[in-house]
Amino acid sequence: MYRIRFHGRGGQGMKTASRILGRAFFLEGFEVQDAPRYGAERRGAPMFAYVRASRNTINERGIIRRPDLVVVADDTLVPVSAAGVLQGVTEHTVMLINSNEKPEVWKDRLNISGQVLTMPSVAEKEDRLEPRFISASCAGVAARLVGVISRTSLKQAISAELAHLGAAVVDKNLAGALESYDLMGSHSGSVTPGHEVPAYAYQNPEWIELPFEDARVSAPAIHATATSEKMKTGLWRTMRPVIDYSRCNRCWWVCSTFCPDSAISLDDEGYPQIDYEHCKGCMVCVAQCPSHAIHAIPEQEAEAGTPAGERL
Amino acid sequence: MSETVFKRMKSLPSAHLLGAGTSLCAGCGGLEALKEIYDILGEKTVIVNAAGCMTLLTIYPFTPFRGSWLYTAMASAPAGAQGIRDALDILLHKGRISPEEDLKVVVLTGDGAAYGMGLSSTSGAIERELDFLYICYDNEGYGNTGQQFSGATPHGARTSTSKGPRGFPGYKKDLFAIWSAHRPSYVATVVGAEALDLARKIEKAAGLKGPRLIIALSPCPTGWSYDPKETVEIGKLAVKTGVWPLKESINGEVVHTKVPHKRLPVEAYLERQGRFAHLFSPQRNKVLLKEIQARVDAYWERVSQPTLL
Amino acid sequence: MKRTLLTGNGAAAWGVRLAGVDYVPAFPITPQTEIIETIANWIDLGEMDCRMVTLESEHSMITAAGAAAATGVRAFTATSSQGLLYAMEMIYTVAGWRVPFVMVNVSRGLSAPITLEPDHNDILVARDSGFLQIHCATCQEVLDSILMAFRLAEDEQVRLPVIVNMDGFYLSFTREPVEIPDADAVTRFLPPFDPENICFRASAPVSEAVAVLGGPPYSYFRYETHLASLNAVPVFAKIAEEFAQAFGRTYEAVEAYRTDDAELVFVIMGSFATKAKDAVDRLREAGRSVGLLRPRLLRPFPNGDIRRILAGKKGVAVIDQNLSMGMGGVLHSELASALYGQAHAPPVLVSFIGGLGGRDIGPEEFYEMASVTRKAVEDGKAPAPRLLYTEKELREVRKLQAIAQVERENLGQNQ
Repeated sequence: MYRIRFHGRGGQGMKTASRILGRAFFLEGFEVQDAPRYGAERRGAPMFAYVRASRNTINERGIIRRPDLVVVADDTLVPVSAAGVLQGVTEHTVMLINSNEKPEVWKDRLNISGQVLTMPSVAEKEDRLEPRFISASCAGVAARLVGVISRTSLKQAISAELAHLGAAVVDKNLAGALESYDLMGSHSGSVTPGHEVPAYAYQNPEWIELPFEDARVSAPAIHATATSEKMKTGLWRTMRPVIDYSRCNRCWWVCSTFCPDSAISLDDEGYPQIDYEHCKGCMVCVAQCPSHAIHAIPEQEAEAGTPAGERL
Repeated sequence: MSETVFKRMKSLPSAHLLGAGTSLCAGCGGLEALKEIYDILGEKTVIVNAAGCMTLLTIYPFTPFRGSWLYTAMASAPAGAQGIRDALDILLHKGRISPEEDLKVVVLTGDGAAYGMGLSSTSGAIERELDFLYICYDNEGYGNTGQQFSGATPHGARTSTSKGPRGFPGYKKDLFAIWSAHRPSYVATVVGAEALDLARKIEKAAGLKGPRLIIALSPCPTGWSYDPKETVEIGKLAVKTGVWPLKESINGEVVHTKVPHKRLPVEAYLERQGRFAHLFSPQRNKVLLKEIQARVDAYWERVSQPTLL
Repeated sequence: MKRTLLTGNGAAAWGVRLAGVDYVPAFPITPQTEIIETIANWIDLGEMDCRMVTLESEHSMITAAGAAAATGVRAFTATSSQGLLYAMEMIYTVAGWRVPFVMVNVSRGLSAPITLEPDHNDILVARDSGFLQIHCATCQEVLDSILMAFRLAEDEQVRLPVIVNMDGFYLSFTREPVEIPDADAVTRFLPPFDPENICFRASAPVSEAVAVLGGPPYSYFRYETHLASLNAVPVFAKIAEEFAQAFGRTYEAVEAYRTDDAELVFVIMGSFATKAKDAVDRLREAGRSVGLLRPRLLRPFPNGDIRRILAGKKGVAVIDQNLSMGMGGVLHSELASALYGQAHAPPVLVSFIGGLGGRDIGPEEFYEMASVTRKAVEDGKAPAPRLLYTEKELREVRKLQAIAQVERENLGQNQ
């Protein structure tokens, strides 16, 4: 059985990628499962989707614990432990990362023994703003890596899964996905079905007797305040608002008032400060700043460059 | 009524009480309104919530609140408020807590609960003259389940259960009128984009006793299909086009607090949102646009006649 | 202490009064209404320092009761039948809040068809909710159970809401002599409630009943509620012992009557258990070795006591005043589950369904059930579940059908 996991952010189309790959397998005569998995989080928050494909009936259900292939649509997710990108990755697992950095860099950084690949031909910035394009390409590369999906089946699957978005979108996605498929020819078949864990050699689940704890402890109640601040929703951001303080006229704190996430506070001198740990990147502040002192830059660029947005 | 402390934008709070890091969507207009409201109400509050998007504000062990919170169910948040208010009153009356321990009781629900399932319990709470504040964040559909139409959905809007070429065939229920007909102490409409108007109303409501109810129009990038950065602009356009009248009712007397004297055409509001895109392409739906405009015009015509206020 | 005549509803109201209840959210429904009318009257007369609020539904009523309990007052409420079902979302919800309060349910059959008369299907819908359940057989027991129920609910090893159940009409509207304990003695037995850290106060903000993500925290909170419910078995025993010392009346989790030397045992809940007791006495006079077992606690289910009492018995007749559609009697399933695989478990468990919608169970029916069970023991095999229903009853229904023009032979032909 093939077990493939797609990691991305809400809105990047990983559910679509899983459906394209699922349908492509199906068209090749496989039994298939595809499903998305969300938390309570929204657009921009880490999510994943998965595909199982087998020549036999699939009885497994739920999340994939030992993936044969992990596709990461957004490399900023790799170090986010809550995103679970590396969960169950072994030397058997192929990692496919959508990144401008080289595979060797990732292999080193993550210290993993399995094969690491990056998405081919993905021109940098455009794609970050076109998640639909990424999803079809991710599915296209995955289809090539397993080596059992024909170009025709991939094409049919994309057309079927994206039909509701109109012909123009389908065509654009087809072009990108097929190009990616073709470029990965040399890696065809590098993803192989993993072995099943034998029932005689399993790892003990280490069950416990859940102890009774009285309701002062065991009620679903939070006795602390503002603990939400521990959630770094800044990770949702793909674009970053940056304040040009030379243009900020310390107005009646429009940005701070309108920020839905309490992520803009004022310093002692009345200048706004953006809390990048929590700013979700909605850009309301960019749109509302009366003096146009806030502009948006791609997150990757911001991370690569100087610590933009801090008042120097 | 004492003078407002919110004389101008600069008098709005510059520090914010509601914690960051919630799981609500980027650019959420409801969260924006709640944040502005919470700054004014403060932390000596207990917020009683009904099922909806904002239920996900608190996910164990994370809460953005500096005061208290109780999640109930979709239909009965006002009854939860009743139980807490009554219990606090009993404890105060019997001297079992000091007055400093008292809390403002606030109901927080979406339009799904406010306009529909929770209307009966709200009606009961108002009829019993419960001393509470009700905040409805109205994003005009069942947003947390993927924006199906609700009793608050405007005519013509596309939702995930009204995907046809004419959108939602029904009309937005007049919750302001339904609530006002109960003669509560205070009813008002607000929008986060008009922060000063909102602040004055919450300040006023907080100073009154009895049932006080607020409907906050909550532009919703996810459900209304627009770029999150437009949230405030769309909120302002709702007011400028007259689609969302800002008003308040104190003991039955209705006052419009921000009358758009040169009203923009409704299209200025509608065309910014994907949920109305079918009114503009592939071709303009002139009939429907005219109907929507006519209903807005008729509203302002009606309320401009003083005897009918 | 005084002894007087009280209905089950009146006894419930006295229990509430003596318990020093602060708050009663209410909603009228037959046959429970007399409880809240009585309390309302006492409040009006200044005899009870309590606040009563009539909500607009039972769903809201349970929400208010739970929210008030979560704020730290002693709360009570009451309902019945359709009202309990209308409230069911909140019954499960407030149990998960881990807040203590007491509710009386006056059992009444469920719609459709709508009826006012009793059976136990209503209360069994709440079986898996997290509410504890105490089932009463007499009006005295109703009053006493309410006092014990507050102790049980508020115990730090438990912290769950409790339902005290009585049968409509047979207890709710039936007067019996009831001993009303002295208020001082009750206060000693049931001191004021201290909610500790589970309450809403300005100085101690808390976010209660919040969402969880994922199975592990959800499983933890749910299973802790189950463990708290299990704790109620020993805690009830302790409270019952204290109650017996203070008031001289003994209540065990399971009432066993003439079971010690019995070969056959009736198992039945609620007020019909006193009828079964009478039948046991008559059967004993006739030389039959029969006893009676009545679970007073239904949740938590007193498995240990039931296994102990029934060990070595030859046969058990379970009489269910309820019906799980497509399965049969609920108590029968519970018993089977408790006894299966236990050493010395009775080999034969016979299921009888009776008393639906207020239908009486006559003494001769108990005698016949004993006879059927004895035969089952001899055969070594339980017969199919039996609905207690007679030829005469069906004839009566046929007459009603005739008036309703349900002309069986013409059905489908006269369109």
